[in-house]
Amino acid sequence: MTSLKRKRYSNALAISASILFVAFTGMQVASPRVTNPPVTSEFHGPQEVTSILKRACYDCHSNESNLRWYDKIAPFSYVVAADVEEARKRFNFSEWDSIPKDEQEGKLWYMVNMIDAGRMPLPAYTAAHPSAKVTPAELDVLKKYVTDLSKANHTAGDTARIQQKAGLQTSNAPAKAIPTSVNGIPYFDDYKNWKVISSTGRPDNGTTRLIYGNDIAVKALEENRINPWPNGATIVKVVWNSQHEDAAGNVMPGNFNNVQIMIKDDQKFKDTEGWGFARFNGLDLKPTGTTLSFATSCINCHQLASETGFVFDIPTKKHAVKH
Amino acid sequence: MTRNLVLFAFACLTMLGCNKSHNLSPAPETIFDEPGMHVVTSTFNQRTETISVLYGNDAALSHAGQARPEHVAGEEFKLVTWGLKPNPLWFGSDINGPLRSVETVKIVADAYGAARIDYGVENRNEETAKIAPTDSDERINFIFAQRASVFP
Repeated sequence: MTSLKRKRYSNALAISASILFVAFTGMQVASPRVTNPPVTSEFHGPQEVTSILKRACYDCHSNESNLRWYDKIAPFSYVVAADVEEARKRFNFSEWDSIPKDEQEGKLWYMVNMIDAGRMPLPAYTAAHPSAKVTPAELDVLKKYVTDLSKANHTAGDTARIQQKAGLQTSNAPAKAIPTSVNGIPYFDDYKNWKVISSTGRPDNGTTRLIYGNDIAVKALEENRINPWPNGATIVKVVWNSQHEDAAGNVMPGNFNNVQIMIKDDQKFKDTEGWGFARFNGLDLKPTGTTLSFATSCINCHQLASETGFVFDIPTKKHAVKH
Repeated sequence: MTRNLVLFAFACLTMLGCNKSHNLSPAPETIFDEPGMHVVTSTFNQRTETISVLYGNDAALSHAGQARPEHVAGEEFKLVTWGLKPNPLWFGSDINGPLRSVETVKIVADAYGAARIDYGVENRNEETAKIAPTDSDERINFIFAQRASVFP
């Protein structure tokens, strides 16, 4: 290399370094800041539970984020700020009582299952913050906590008081409008002629369920084409409150609780992994959700079933867990 | 400091690959299918580790739905029982596993018009055959005692 060329080269290098430096400095100046709004209604639980949650979850899921110096350096600061914002939206331990009690219980089960699946705390986060890791023994503490909580919250149904559907309408009665979800999915009765693909019992929230699949869904299971499921596949889950266990240990369905529908249409429901969700509550089939965004919480939870095309309750062969 | 930064950067790259995987594949052979049979009700039992669905034909469903209190000839019930296992995708939920047995109860009218109750059990694996109940009266009573689940 001639001395002229060498000079040009070192000039280019200096200019590039300056640009990078300015860009880096600019990123630091423009970097988003994570602020801690006041704690309005803090989560309360047994000390052994709160200490795990504080250590593993509070940096993102509360208004007590304790960011380390390296969390504040761009480009990481951008990722951290976005993560904290999203985390607080999903649930915030500092504003815990702003959500209804039954939703709190559902969120706690969701958290435990996210930890159980290895999805939370985010692996990227625990790599940089190893103290946030949840050990298997700590996970057991959390599992026991939610199980006991649900046992206390759900009294089993009473056989003698099972609410029956109101009698058949007389021909003079005006036809009732078909209950329809905000996303346009109507309730329908056809599933009663479909095959039951699985049956589940959830001692966790005191319910008994049957899951039906239409012909497209059953064929997809038979052909192992569930990731993704074909368009038109429809799954219906009927949920009852469980009755008290009988002397032999049998748990029977009591009052009808709700019916949930999943319809696969990868164009219509692009934002929720191609699944349209609907839920109708009680015998009057009141639809869940007043805005389209209700389906976001459905798919957030169903992400745990990404391995089976986002459907939780399908029959599966004996499996070996691998990590 | 540098170590933490390197770890953080590494973690960012690998964060998508850390979820627990179960190797799940569908088990469509566990799906019960018999034309003309409708769901009557279902039950699960953590002690016996079983989960069952009771099916019935139109006549059986009318009885179990309490539209007709007395039994009549022509009623046919099928109690399908599977093993129970924890749902691999959700801690806290139990789901049916392999099919174990199908019990059938039929009310048949003989040539003289008298009704007879037939009971039969088909075991789907050797293990359950060993522990299958032999007292058919007890099983008939159990099946007849079921009330239809309330559907919307």
